[in-house]
Amino acid sequence: MSADSLERLASAGKGESTRTLLRVIILLLVAGAAISSRLFSVIRFESIIHEFDPWFNFRATKYLVANGFYKFWDWFDDRTWHPLGRVTGGTLYPGLMVTSGVIYHALRALSIPVDIRNVCVMLAPAFSGLTAYAAYLLTNEMTPSSSAGLLAAIFMGIAPGYISRSVAGSYDNEAIAIFLLVFTFYLWIKALKLGSMLWGALCALFYGYMVASWGGYAFITCLLPLHAFVLICMGRYSTRLYVAYCTWYALGTLASMQIPFVGFLPVKTSEHMPALGIFGFLQLLAFLDYVRSAIPSRQFQTFLWVFAGSIFGIGLIGLVVATSAGFIAPWSGRFYSLWDTGYAKIHIPIIASVSEHQPTAWPAFFFDLNMLIWLLPAGVYLCYQKLADEHVFVIVYALFGSYFAGVMVRLMLTLTPVVCVAAAIALSTILDIYLKAKSPIPEEHLPEESTDGTSKKASKSGLRASNKPYIGIYATFSKVTVVGAMTAYLLLFVAHCTWVTSNAYSSPSVVLASRMPDGSQHIIDDYREAYQWLRQNTKYDAKVMSWWDYGYQIGGMADRPTLVDNNTWNNTHIATVGKAMASREEVSYPIMRQHEVDYVLVVFGGLLGYSGDDINKFLWMVRIAEGIWPDEVKEREFFTPRGEYRVDAGATETMKNSLMYKMSYYNYNNLFPPGQAQDRVRGVRLPDEGPVLNSIEEAFTSENWIIRIYKVKDLDNLGRDHASAAAFERGQKKKKVIKKKGPRVLRVD
Amino acid sequence: MKTSAVFSAVLSLLSLASTGSAHGHHHHHHKHSDSGTSSASAPATFTPPQVFKNVNLVHIVSLEKNYVKESINVVIENIDKEAQSDYILPFTNEQLSRLGGVEVRDRKNAESGPFVVEPVEFESSGPNQYVRIRLPTPLAPGAQQTLGITYYLLSASKPLPASIKQEEQQFLSYSFSAYCPSVYTTSKQKTEVKFASTIIPDYTKLPGSGDVKEFPQKQGSKLVYGPFDEKPAGALEPVQVRFEFNKPVIHVSHLERDIEVSHWGGNVAFEERYDLEHRGANLSSLFNRVKWQQSQYYNPVTHALKEMKFPLRVGSADPYYTDVIGNVSTSHFRSNKREALLEIKPRYPLFGGWKYPFTIGWNSDAANFLRKTATGGFVLNVPFLEGPKQPEGVEYEQVVVRLILPEGAEYVITTPELPQRVTDIASHRNVKWTTGIPKSSISEAGVQIHKTYLDTIGRTALVIKGRNLVDDFRDRDLTVTYDYPMSAVLRKPLVVFSSSMAVFVSLWLLSLINLKFATKK
Repeated sequence: MSADSLERLASAGKGESTRTLLRVIILLLVAGAAISSRLFSVIRFESIIHEFDPWFNFRATKYLVANGFYKFWDWFDDRTWHPLGRVTGGTLYPGLMVTSGVIYHALRALSIPVDIRNVCVMLAPAFSGLTAYAAYLLTNEMTPSSSAGLLAAIFMGIAPGYISRSVAGSYDNEAIAIFLLVFTFYLWIKALKLGSMLWGALCALFYGYMVASWGGYAFITCLLPLHAFVLICMGRYSTRLYVAYCTWYALGTLASMQIPFVGFLPVKTSEHMPALGIFGFLQLLAFLDYVRSAIPSRQFQTFLWVFAGSIFGIGLIGLVVATSAGFIAPWSGRFYSLWDTGYAKIHIPIIASVSEHQPTAWPAFFFDLNMLIWLLPAGVYLCYQKLADEHVFVIVYALFGSYFAGVMVRLMLTLTPVVCVAAAIALSTILDIYLKAKSPIPEEHLPEESTDGTSKKASKSGLRASNKPYIGIYATFSKVTVVGAMTAYLLLFVAHCTWVTSNAYSSPSVVLASRMPDGSQHIIDDYREAYQWLRQNTKYDAKVMSWWDYGYQIGGMADRPTLVDNNTWNNTHIATVGKAMASREEVSYPIMRQHEVDYVLVVFGGLLGYSGDDINKFLWMVRIAEGIWPDEVKEREFFTPRGEYRVDAGATETMKNSLMYKMSYYNYNNLFPPGQAQDRVRGVRLPDEGPVLNSIEEAFTSENWIIRIYKVKDLDNLGRDHASAAAFERGQKKKKVIKKKGPRVLRVD
Repeated sequence: MKTSAVFSAVLSLLSLASTGSAHGHHHHHHKHSDSGTSSASAPATFTPPQVFKNVNLVHIVSLEKNYVKESINVVIENIDKEAQSDYILPFTNEQLSRLGGVEVRDRKNAESGPFVVEPVEFESSGPNQYVRIRLPTPLAPGAQQTLGITYYLLSASKPLPASIKQEEQQFLSYSFSAYCPSVYTTSKQKTEVKFASTIIPDYTKLPGSGDVKEFPQKQGSKLVYGPFDEKPAGALEPVQVRFEFNKPVIHVSHLERDIEVSHWGGNVAFEERYDLEHRGANLSSLFNRVKWQQSQYYNPVTHALKEMKFPLRVGSADPYYTDVIGNVSTSHFRSNKREALLEIKPRYPLFGGWKYPFTIGWNSDAANFLRKTATGGFVLNVPFLEGPKQPEGVEYEQVVVRLILPEGAEYVITTPELPQRVTDIASHRNVKWTTGIPKSSISEAGVQIHKTYLDTIGRTALVIKGRNLVDDFRDRDLTVTYDYPMSAVLRKPLVVFSSSMAVFVSLWLLSLINLKFATKK
């Protein structure tokens, strides 16, 4: 088995040390490939933080670096969720920020002048190199062939399923969490195999780090008990399992409770109950094990049934009572939506409104994993063949992970590691069999391999296999064909990964790129234009109202207080903003006054054909607002009687009078010759008469109209309502404008 | 007192008698040494002695740029019995804080160099403050000398009306005295006011004298008040002019300019951080993108700032243009053998009252600035100020130039007293420097330690703070002399090599330790 070409080459040299050196070099190259394939956006654009959530993480990191850890821990942020504020220090996973902060201070201590922004931008690629190494370690625990580990490392390094969340600038919790996930699994397998408390404690340590970094830690919290449970069911309870699990659970739970955001959740919520249950179950098993050794076997049978039955009953009743009494929280909405994909759409529109919470489309598996997805079943099958404890883990993880990846797009991320491991096992097995240059020879002629762990293993499992003839590949043609095909697949895989990374996952989304007629790149930088304008030319405490998607960006780039942001902790507050956007000005204005709103920001893609704009998101605002005020905001009224969502002359009155519609199209028709105004996203011609705004006024519109900022007018000096005041103004102004415009145009011509 | 104290700090650089008069800064204590005379005394009051007479005075107020440049060409005569060397110029307290770039020369003798200028210190914070001009050679009784005095006043003109529409013309107004403020009797004088355009809708009219019926006389884009006959000391005649200035009024409140010299890389890296604002008329109604886009079609003259041009030294390379939220893509760099022009556009057009801080930087071959002296030292000659070249002018309220020398480079004192040398007391680092910027515009100079790029002892950084400068002083030199011994050159490679060797060796030693329990079978 160990006779693949690489090692054959190595054995020609010095043997073990050469192999180690080669392996180190290969792993370094893999890490290099993993890092460099994530740099497309830095090279194409610049070193910039991407998208939405990373802007918050970046802002929090800057706060940490500037104010130190304890201030960060106690951070109450009054510049978000105005007027509520947010207890930021207690409602975030600090792992990411602390990691960057430590790296930043370490580099500074070496007097390397590094900008905190660059640390944040490059953190995800740097950790992807570590993830590749962790995948190598994990795979090596599964198979004696070290080439499988190297394959797993490169798969992990460049699989788009992981790259999607770890390109340079994608400064999100997942950036470090996937490394921690894989490494915790590796430590778990190691602890389980050795029955070692040291490895179990290390596993708990990294589990604690994982809890500090990402909400997805619950995946580990559920997977490890499940693995243990499956092992017990298979009759594989052992002291190794007992030691590994109990060490991990006790220390890991204590570690996780140190994070304020997690706190007592590990003993209070249903998500954490399986881990606690298995912990208790293991104690029982250990006890039974002891009893069995102490009393005769017949008495033990009776004892076992009575004991097990009563314990199960008591446990179940206890859980039901505790849940109904409120000691243990039932499953949270996000968890329900994992079981019933339609749940969120009906009950929690705010979760359903996020595109990454949608169920995965089938092509996405191929898109994100390419050939690995069809190597996964093969790898799982090979695990069934060996079926040691660690192989059970891969099987359990693969089933569990596949289910969740099918339910939610973004959980593709947690599936990717196991796919890489299983695919590497499958592929390395194929290559190991087909890459042997020599034809197989009977076993007694392989003395040089007898020291190798593989042949030991083979002889151990030799009970079934020894009387069968040795199966090998004899024909050179079939070797060449299979190896050639596999090489081609691998090359295609690399090409696919590069293409996907370059085209799908490397856009910062803050900056847009377009092509000029001559093929050169033209940068569309409207977001930053408007945010910079807000930052420089408005009061420091001017409150900005926008849909929650832009909250983190406004906080990070414009440095202005916002009403709602991507944290979405308060659904009612978001619904309030939704209502203000979806209602008539007369309704919206008091809402804005009550929330001390100074500016309103909308995203409008009509001029450029930018489809991710607010009019396209508008229905979610309506739905979320309707969830709180079903009598005042009605989704049905935004659709025409024929059920169409229209923005042109045929739009409903409710639509045309909504603040969002008015802000999006205000003054837009003046940009075009009469009757030519066109919305390039919806592909419709707009009415000649644009909407009229009374209570707010246009303050800034970016170059390509993507961002439009409106200033909320103060109350009228004369106590009129805004509509009549504005009508009076217009009546006066119209004459003036005509008077002035005439001569000016003449002079210019 | 405050302003005059600041101004005195400005000038105290030049005027240093003893080596012990270090200023109380934490980081850059500095002692100066100069051939200067005793510093200005601080009596309770100050009354300028009537020892001169202005025989003939021409006062030129230039409003062509967004700052005010005033030149006073005056023939002075000593009317005292003794030789006199101190000519006094009056300013108001408020003016003094905005005054910069004062230069005085002898009009008849161009080679005699700029005269020493310093404020008169006395214990009064009243509106009347004075600046003393020291004539290099005392003027004998009855003798005459022609002085050419130029100075700049920042933030001097105000938009009137203070807020206008986006497409309207911008007008500024400026108030001054038609009689040149002087503490001496002036026999004959006139004041010329120069404008950038011929549209001057309002100006104060004064009764004429002689054959002129009414002052001022308008000559194209120029107004002339005078000539006036003899006026007593302190005579003022306030006038106001309002003129079209349909250009951005660019005001840089703070400029930090870092110049980093690398001998290993053969490179001089420049980085400039601007706090820029438009001081002109605000928008009366908020920004209207439709109007702006339609007007851009005709490319009219506008008071909004759309673009800035930085003519860099030929050979400059790798420019960057960023602001606090990242790279700004609207820039263009044209570089060839004759020019290196960096054109940048702010993210948004800048209207009155709007701000736009930004950062630019570039690299340049060290050979363009650095030369070796015969004694083995180095002389670095860089522009003190570069910045944009705009037809409307740029004014800088505060400029901090930080010149970072290579690690271990400093000026080794060979002779005890040298002009223009600053020392960091804590580290005993010396730097010798001179600059073409008027001394009165330099408020502070010191040495700091700057640690970067794996430094161990840190680099010597010369920090010079200037105030109230304008773009007329672009390309005035800053010359620094320093020594850079071979031991300092080799310091970093040796440090990096030995420390990484130490890491390897200690790792190897650690790997020898066996942490396992002894396993006996």
